Amino acid sequence: MAGSADIMRFAAMGTRVELHRFGDGADAALAAARRAIEAVDDALTIHRPSPATAMNEALLAGRTAALEDELLFRAVEAAADGHAATEGLFDVAADLRTGTDWSMVTFDHAARRIAAERPIALDFGGLGKGFALDRASAALREAGVGSALLTAGESSIAVIGEHPLGGLWPFSIPHPEQPDVELLAVELCDQALSISATIGAGTRAPERAAIVHSRLGAAVTLPACAVSVEPNATLAEIMSTALLVADQQAAARLLRDRVGRRFRFDLRLATEHSRKCA
Amino acid sequence: MSDQAFDLTRRSFLDRVLMATAGAGVAAAAPWAVSAANAASAAPMMPATGDRVRLGVIGTGDRGRALIRNIAKSRNCTVAAICDNFAPHLAKGREIVGASVPAFADHRAMLDARGIDALVIATPLNQHARHATDGFDAGLHVWCEKAMARTISDCGAMITKSRAANKVLQIGHQRMFHPTYLNALKRVKAGEIGEITQVRASWHRNNSWRRPVPAGTDDRHINWRLYRESSAGLMTELATHQLQVGNWFLDAVPTRVIGSGSICFWKDGREVYDHVALIYEYSGGRKFIYTSLLNNARYGCEEQIQGSKGTIEPELGRIYAEVPPKVLALQRMHQDVARGSKRTVPIGGATWFPELPVTTPGESLGWGEYDETMLQFEGFGEAVRSGKPLPGLLAQAYRASVASLLGEQAMDRGEAMTWPTSLVEV
Ligand SMILES: NC(=O)c1ccc[n+]([C@@H]2O[C@H](COP(=O)([O-])OP(=O)(O)OC[C@H]3O[C@@H](n4cnc5c(N)ncnc54)[C@H](O)[C@@H]3O)[C@@H](O)[C@H]2O)c1
Repeated sequence: MAGSADIMRFAAMGTRVELHRFGDGADAALAAARRAIEAVDDALTIHRPSPATAMNEALLAGRTAALEDELLFRAVEAAADGHAATEGLFDVAADLRTGTDWSMVTFDHAARRIAAERPIALDFGGLGKGFALDRASAALREAGVGSALLTAGESSIAVIGEHPLGGLWPFSIPHPEQPDVELLAVELCDQALSISATIGAGTRAPERAAIVHSRLGAAVTLPACAVSVEPNATLAEIMSTALLVADQQAAARLLRDRVGRRFRFDLRLATEHSRKCA
Repeated sequence: MSDQAFDLTRRSFLDRVLMATAGAGVAAAAPWAVSAANAASAAPMMPATGDRVRLGVIGTGDRGRALIRNIAKSRNCTVAAICDNFAPHLAKGREIVGASVPAFADHRAMLDARGIDALVIATPLNQHARHATDGFDAGLHVWCEKAMARTISDCGAMITKSRAANKVLQIGHQRMFHPTYLNALKRVKAGEIGEITQVRASWHRNNSWRRPVPAGTDDRHINWRLYRESSAGLMTELATHQLQVGNWFLDAVPTRVIGSGSICFWKDGREVYDHVALIYEYSGGRKFIYTSLLNNARYGCEEQIQGSKGTIEPELGRIYAEVPPKVLALQRMHQDVARGSKRTVPIGGATWFPELPVTTPGESLGWGEYDETMLQFEGFGEAVRSGKPLPGLLAQAYRASVASLLGEQAMDRGEAMTWPTSLVEV
């Protein structure tokens, strides 16, 4: 590989983002990737006025919201697809306190409109991070970058191309509360990885709201960790969240045919067994 | 410094001011600096002596003498008379201006002697209002050191008086002309530090603030800063500067202030606090948090202007971007790759990092030899000539003085004080 490598670190999406570029690619590539992530943050944030807060205000007031912002539209589209792909387990409208969920939402894809039969606020949570990493990956690829690693927090990772020294990118995922215990080792190439857990430092972070808000409240109180490797970061976020909130049968369906790509760990089990998938 | 060398530094100083104020939104937020720098740039190299605005300086103490030196550097002002009611200080003033400049022990005598266009006031705080009033009554323009006056109502009265007399009133807040501050403002307006939600300011010194009392005068004359009759202590002497910066960068006046003051260390008969801690609240939940004390100098004088994307420390002349801590495993991966070795990257586990103060060096806002006090006078000279005050300056000064005096009231009463509704319009 070419000798050059550079790094960009910044805060966005309520977490710390790192972009590592190796080898070829335009010098401005990282800056373009950063802009892509900040644009998603600006569109989806609920911490300051944004297209997402405007949409939520409308939905809470019982009005139909026009999804004029392209990024917000794409995020809602991804949330709807994620809901469909996970038997409704991934749900950005789920809120235990109000008893709302996506079944109460009408998303008119063609007209780019969204409405709800009850007051609802969507929380994109982890999906936003995955979506942002995908947009940034696209910007890097467009700038000719052939080898890169992107993270949003330590729980959402995407890689472009091969490892700078060739071959796959090797990662190990430790137990959320016992750094010396390895849960799993995975290798990636042009893929994304998402880790969701109900315990550990990460669960106290605001970006985990999507899990806590899930309608399957009981399931997420158990100490568990889910890992998903997918072709893109948006799907990885959706799947790791869905796996975490799934009951045994639903989890089995999501894991079927995905050996070595999707994992769910029951962290009540002794740590010796932690290498086994649930 | 030779005349030519001085000309060069003057030119580059003015260029820096003009460059900073050329940024989008800066001219509107610092119109006084634009006016002053434009006028100074247009000034002829060597104006005839008769073309200069003639200033009479009252108070040739520490600050008065510093002002005299700066006035001498200006192109459009000259010291035409000096006055001090303490003979040794008047003598020190004469050493600078020379025997040809008339010197007076009584400011009334100086006013009666005529021969000046404007008054420069560098006397103790409680005298500012009276000296300014006397100046306006004598048909003069007035330049007065900060803080404006000992009471909020006197600050307003000075403004009313200047209006009635149709004369310029300018207050000495040199930071408003400082290229580093103007550059800081430019970076803020460009969005570099995000939305400013807090300014944390301090002025910490480690000395008694007490001056030796020479023969022929008394403690209250020399140490006027330590007595309530003549000063609000740290608030009017130091905090005013920083409250001006706070109001300026937060682009508002406080809504309310709470505070606590004490005579905590220097129990030497002084009446003003040697420790003050205050919180000024601004709209939208924003805050200016202030401490000043006289027995620890570790943190010195600074205004930490804090936004979601970065911090500016204008006294140090630096801007810092918010940088999240590094993911150590990824840092190690980079080192591995550079060495040509490939190892598994542990990621996604328990991530804990100590929340210690960040010590990144930041980036310079630009330093150099600054003549902001000189520029204040060039601006004043222009204002006197045109009869038009530098835009926006008096409002900044008034609000800073009011904020400092309101803070004193909050500490004295142990009560939150809301921003007065009865202020004079500026
Ligand atoms: N802008 C700044 O950075 C800055 C710095 C220092 C002081 N100041 C301000 O300058 C002013 C003076 O401070 P200072 O440190 O020079 O104090 P100082 O005590 O050294 O000087 C005040 C002078 O005024 C004289 N004086 C007092 N009453 C007088 C009267 N009735 N008539 C004529 N002269 C009289 C005193 O004899 C003394 O020489 C204060 O308002 C202070 O806040 C501003």
